[in-house]
Amino acid sequence: MAEEQKIFKVTIDNITIDVPAGTTILNAARKIGGEVAPPAMCYYSKLKGSGGKCRTCLVEVVSGSTVDPRPMPKLVASCRTNVMDGMVVKNITSEKVIDVRKGVVEFLLINHPLDCPVCDQAGECHLQDLTYSHGAEQTRYEFERRTFVREDIGDYIQLHMTRCILCYRCIYVADQLTNKRVHGILDRGDKSEISTYISKAIENDFSGNMIDVCPVGALTDRTFRFKNRVWFLKPVDAHRDCDKCHGQVTLWNRGDEVFRVTARKDEWGEVQTLSDGKPGWICNTCRFEKKHASDWVIEGPTKINRHSVISQGHYVGNVGMIMPPDPLDKVLFGRQPHLLLDIHDVSKVNQLEVHLSELEGPAVSNTFNGDPHASGHNVTDVKEGV
Amino acid sequence: MSKKILLEKANVENIQTMEVYRREGGYRSLEKALKMAPNDIVEEVKRSGLRGRGGAGFPTGLKWSFLAKPEGVERYLVCNADESEPGTFKDRYLMEFLPHLLIEGMIVSSFAVGSNVSYIYIRGEYEWVTDILDAAIDEARKAGFLGKNILGSGFDCEIYIHRGAGAYICGEETGLLESLEGKRGLPRIKPPFPAVKGLWDCPTVVNNVETIASVVSIINEGGDAYARIGVGKSTGTKLISACGNINKPGVYEIDMTISVEEFIYSDEYCGGIANGKKLKACVPGGSSVPILPASLLLTTAKGEKRLMNYESLSDGGFATGSMMGSGGFEVLDEDQCIVRHTLSLARFYHHESCGQCSPCREGTGWMEKILQKIEHGKGEMKDIDLLWDIQRKIEGNTICPLGEAAAWPVAAAIRHFRDEFEWHILNPKECLVRNYGLGKYAEALITS
Repeated sequence: MAEEQKIFKVTIDNITIDVPAGTTILNAARKIGGEVAPPAMCYYSKLKGSGGKCRTCLVEVVSGSTVDPRPMPKLVASCRTNVMDGMVVKNITSEKVIDVRKGVVEFLLINHPLDCPVCDQAGECHLQDLTYSHGAEQTRYEFERRTFVREDIGDYIQLHMTRCILCYRCIYVADQLTNKRVHGILDRGDKSEISTYISKAIENDFSGNMIDVCPVGALTDRTFRFKNRVWFLKPVDAHRDCDKCHGQVTLWNRGDEVFRVTARKDEWGEVQTLSDGKPGWICNTCRFEKKHASDWVIEGPTKINRHSVISQGHYVGNVGMIMPPDPLDKVLFGRQPHLLLDIHDVSKVNQLEVHLSELEGPAVSNTFNGDPHASGHNVTDVKEGV
Repeated sequence: MSKKILLEKANVENIQTMEVYRREGGYRSLEKALKMAPNDIVEEVKRSGLRGRGGAGFPTGLKWSFLAKPEGVERYLVCNADESEPGTFKDRYLMEFLPHLLIEGMIVSSFAVGSNVSYIYIRGEYEWVTDILDAAIDEARKAGFLGKNILGSGFDCEIYIHRGAGAYICGEETGLLESLEGKRGLPRIKPPFPAVKGLWDCPTVVNNVETIASVVSIINEGGDAYARIGVGKSTGTKLISACGNINKPGVYEIDMTISVEEFIYSDEYCGGIANGKKLKACVPGGSSVPILPASLLLTTAKGEKRLMNYESLSDGGFATGSMMGSGGFEVLDEDQCIVRHTLSLARFYHHESCGQCSPCREGTGWMEKILQKIEHGKGEMKDIDLLWDIQRKIEGNTICPLGEAAAWPVAAAIRHFRDEFEWHILNPKECLVRNYGLGKYAEALITS
């Protein structure tokens, strides 16, 4: 019988949560959700060995554990640091973390082109999100940016190395999903580039997944490039019988036209875990060749896609979207109005026998469930009064 | 004349050969060690107070005792001979002139940590040194000091030499292990530390050449005898590779009780500043440690004489002190330009950054570009603060210490020589034709 799993108590940004031993700080924070979860540009929970490189997920450990409560001297990469029992972590409550993260965003951006207006990733780009939430308004970099020549690697994928932030995710995809990796990092330092060995094409049934894992617009779908902007498209869940993969995808439609097919993403922008517990990577046939609505069985609108500007508001659970509190219930004192805004139908303004000077305020609804609270005030006044 | 332990026999003719080395008392420590229990050797090294000579100064005995010892799993000893820190060349000297000392230390250390296969990861540029070491290993094998059942003790050991391919980053211990495994030399994310998961996921000890060579005399003379040399926690002797504007550059063995002033000015060591110039600044421990102006180099902020040892060199923290580092002692005279010096270091770290994590990959290049600008008379005042901010955001936020190594020299140069940077910016034409000179850095200087 398996040994009973230890449960560790960890406090992140003053929120305490129980997680099994061996969980990373980042995954513990994701369980809490919302802004407590540090951003991650290189870590990908479905790719073994990923993470630790981009340094955006650095957090401050103010207390190592109950046994050894000393703080850790440096900020740690939350994606690669396991929690200890009684660990206290500061993410957005730490000024140091916010400051350093701003620096990391700046480093990531100094050589990233400002070509969002023509970039296919715009609207669902993790770097855009990160910059928006943690970046500075202006760059202090005044030198020429690093550029590379665009390269088509195979019929389906284009590599635009200039945009790459070297997260290494696509390399892990090639290592772990496909049976022969033909691309990797060449050179070192800020000259390093993702490349195939002597411009070899990447031909593999699952190579398209590296487009999905790319946090920026460095790897793009050649069958979709410049066809549309993601925010004009409606994501719908669909499936088909596929002999290579599970065939569960998200279609990006405009009208009846299928513009592109991607794997289903979860709230962290990662490929969703399927009901059988495996990551939902999809094959190239599903992704690139089935571009007709008739190829697919449509299930309905996609429920989650926090990382797209569209997503139709179908958020479920706590996905980091905090809606402002709705004051309506409060101002209605538990009443159930038939119609709230029927003011003009019954407004005294429209009643000829009432002189305007007799009116205390603007429009009033007498049929406002006949409640005395309402008379003499309009709805806005009531709201403010409460 | 301070006591020599490592380089005592360096001048003996043909000491590179087994015959002469044996005649001079070589491999005694091995014979002695094989009769001891491995744990006793670790204890002996602990008692000696020997600290890692690669730069960080971590106690060696303690490092060895941290080594995980799971049943049925190989353990490895790796000697880090990838000496690539600018200004440091002590290991090359040691390996070139006393190859058997390293091999002897390797076998003893392998026995102590239980490694049957040990590696020397040597810097690729040290091609001829590799040949010397190869010859020494062959001789040792013929003499029965390597191979199966060494001297009838039942202990097997093989040593292999692996040549690096010219990357500074492969001197970082986990980058070294990756490279040794045949992969790109990208430092690993720690934890796990090599003592738990190192080479091929087995527990591994990585030690510097000088550290391993020091083990020989610790075994011969005993840990306590070794601990009596030196002062405080800086026990034993240290090799210092002195270079720059001094009369006698070279590798010196010091016993860590002498003062910095004595080291620079006495005839036994550097022999003073060359060409009758004055001392301006010094990088006391290899290029990545903070540079110190002469005034802070010879005396600490408290007004005490600064000594050549771990504690005294780091006295005052980074605000007014530096570090012992790897022992690369670079001296700059009054004619040297600090901006140019900092630029050349920044260029080095930019070139050597592995590109794995973003602060180092992007930040080192950015710092170099700004320094280029200042050095060529195109700088602006805000660039100094920008440089400071960039180094601050690199330091401590990277996977491996290369980030710090790149940030510290820039930080220290701005901290101590800000007026020289400002002079460069205010005099864009003049800075192209002449150097700032001595400035106020040497005011407190004792000139003898």
